[in-house]
Amino acid sequence: MRKMVAVVAVSLLGLAACSSTGGGSNPAVPGDAKPAASGLLAKAPVADAAAIVPGSTMEKIKQRGELLVGGSLDAPLLSQQNPVSGEVEGFDASMGKALAKYIIGEPKVKIVNSASETREALIGNGTVDVVFQTYTITPERAKQVAFAGPYYTSGLSIAVKKGTTGIAKPEDLNGKKVIAGANTPAIAAIKKLAPQAEIITFGSDPECMQALKQDRGVAYVQDETLLAANAQKDPTVQVIGNPFTEDPYGIGLKHGDEQFKKFVNDWLKKMQDAGVWQQAWKDSLGTVVKGEAPAPPAIGSVPGS
Amino acid sequence: MSVLLDHLPELWQGLLVTLQLTVASFVGAAVLGVLVTAMRVSPVPVLRALGTAYVETFQNLPLLVLLVLVFFGLPEIGIKGPPMATAIVVIAVYQAAYMAEALRSGVNSVSKGQAEAARALGLTFGQSLRLVILPQALRTVVQPLGNLTIQLIMSTALAGAISVVDLTEAAKRVNLQEAQPIAIFVGSGLAYAAIAAAVGYVTGRLERRLVIMR
Amino acid sequence: MSTVLFDEPGPRAKRRIRIATVLGVLATLALAALAVRQFAANGQLAAERWQPYATWPMWRYLLDGLWSTALSAVVAAALSMALGLLLALGRLSSKRWLRGPATVYIEVVRTIPALLLVYVVLFALPKYGLDLPLFWKLVVPLTVSNAAAFAEIFRAGILSIERGQTEAGLAVGLTRGQTLRMIVLPQAARRVLPSIVSQSVGLLKDTSLGFIVSYGELFYSGKVLVAYNGLLIQTYIVIALIYLVVNASLSKLARVLERRSSARA
Repeated sequence: MRKMVAVVAVSLLGLAACSSTGGGSNPAVPGDAKPAASGLLAKAPVADAAAIVPGSTMEKIKQRGELLVGGSLDAPLLSQQNPVSGEVEGFDASMGKALAKYIIGEPKVKIVNSASETREALIGNGTVDVVFQTYTITPERAKQVAFAGPYYTSGLSIAVKKGTTGIAKPEDLNGKKVIAGANTPAIAAIKKLAPQAEIITFGSDPECMQALKQDRGVAYVQDETLLAANAQKDPTVQVIGNPFTEDPYGIGLKHGDEQFKKFVNDWLKKMQDAGVWQQAWKDSLGTVVKGEAPAPPAIGSVPGS
Repeated sequence: MSVLLDHLPELWQGLLVTLQLTVASFVGAAVLGVLVTAMRVSPVPVLRALGTAYVETFQNLPLLVLLVLVFFGLPEIGIKGPPMATAIVVIAVYQAAYMAEALRSGVNSVSKGQAEAARALGLTFGQSLRLVILPQALRTVVQPLGNLTIQLIMSTALAGAISVVDLTEAAKRVNLQEAQPIAIFVGSGLAYAAIAAAVGYVTGRLERRLVIMR
Repeated sequence: MSTVLFDEPGPRAKRRIRIATVLGVLATLALAALAVRQFAANGQLAAERWQPYATWPMWRYLLDGLWSTALSAVVAAALSMALGLLLALGRLSSKRWLRGPATVYIEVVRTIPALLLVYVVLFALPKYGLDLPLFWKLVVPLTVSNAAAFAEIFRAGILSIERGQTEAGLAVGLTRGQTLRMIVLPQAARRVLPSIVSQSVGLLKDTSLGFIVSYGELFYSGKVLVAYNGLLIQTYIVIALIYLVVNASLSKLARVLERRSSARA
């Protein structure tokens, strides 16, 4: 057993090693999320000492000195690892760091990279404290985890190559080849709205984009922010209309921990009141979406939250 | 269990795709494998080098990486095939390297006297290979080729990476919908085991018959 | 063997071979040039699409991925060899309650795609509260799968040792266990060493399934890079080359071992 622990420790060291060095930026990277500006985190609130109730989850995290966040490494604008600095950047990543600062006083997080299928288990067995990972609140999931928030509302959109005609709404995808990311909610959404569509899946967003450009399918269904970022990088692709689903993202917490849920909701409210939430949006998603930051969704407004 | 019955059409379709992938890429791999083997024992130095380079390259690349690289890369040099065809060709090319290696050890196991006799009779290189060496070599490699076929069946499961909905991919999609992983994946696993058992049965029969002929 | 299949080419044949070689090489080069031209026409050769891979941070990231690949491959190889040896001994055992399960395990598991086993660990186990760390989500299915393959390699090795060896061991008063450990296994291991190495190369290639569970091995690291820099084709080419170099070195080792053991035999 000790050997196993040692092996795991070594593997984590390997991961940590890649985040140890800084370095110059890479000019060849378009649409690059701005580094989680220290300005943003400087403005982020810190909890009153009284809010860190003895014996609570918050106190446990504070004593550990690090917030364990379940998240991704390969979601541009939301939670993307920057190979140059090793930092994880984007909207979700900034929110995680801000929450860490609120509890601990410093934005100290450890991102536990997690496949989306296993998030409930990760929270359940205490591997992570919170999950920031485009985690859509549903009543079903709320049976296994608690959701603070919603902290953002997104939705699925359709992207096509410029000049494509005859696709204006999801129903138009019937009978056509439609690209979707493997294991994404897009698959179920397409099946529901366009049951006659032939869904072809690839393992990652860049692969789906390449497939769209190579005419493997006529349309690509994906989260609107990812598509907006893609369309900005690649002028041959355009996003059609508004999102056709509404996915409220929640902060996943341990089921039944009402105290921590209220604490996180209070934090979220403060973030919004102080304009930090809006700043985090501008630094990340706001770089590809035109206009001012949207009004944040009302906390607790969704069934399951 | 009922989840398997509810989704029988999708899973059955996936199984058919797996079988198509298996049969088509086996045929391709066998033809290519024999060709590469012939190159590796041929009198032309360049062909020998090419044959060796072929085996070295494809035995040392992960099939998964090869699949995505070919699928997304070839259209950039002007060759675009549908996913299914790409999967068949890539799996055939990949497995041919292993076939060639097995066949070569088969060729090496044929006693030197056989080749000398063939040459003494005045057979050319091609004739001695075709009429004397390969038939005997094939006999000694029936068992390894059977194992390679099972390996080939397993490798078809990776075709899902380039959007081919084979049995494994179909099972994953059904699971995404139904979230009953044990029934779905155990059921599909047993289907693979059944195909492999059929292959094992055929190679067993084949080996016994060929041994008697000798 | 191959040298007996044809006469040493004479002057005429040599000339013909040379001409055919030159023509073949020219035709290949022409095709390659066409491919490269098309590749460039699609903008894939543009300097800025390759420049990132001339910088250290990208390579450092990929080498970190390679380190994780190596780590998972080494651990999975060690575990599956240990399990494989037990299975091989079980299948060769005279006790039916050992032989039966070992045989069933080997025969069934060696026909199930590793990907399917990864899915079981990824999707099924967490439903029963067993959520392994990422590293083990990759290593456990690879171990389960490769153990069956290693078992068959070891079994073939043990069976290839002449009965006389065992009989001699027993005759000088060793127990069955001692005979196996001190006489049969060392010889068997040496005989199957090349197969063990090539199976290990196969295992290393299988670790590319790590991207499914988002374990940071080489292929997944490549995917994170692609999400960051959008250079799909370039990144996959670089990744393929790294695998090629690493595995070719391992295969080379396998051949050296093969030559040494066959020289001894």
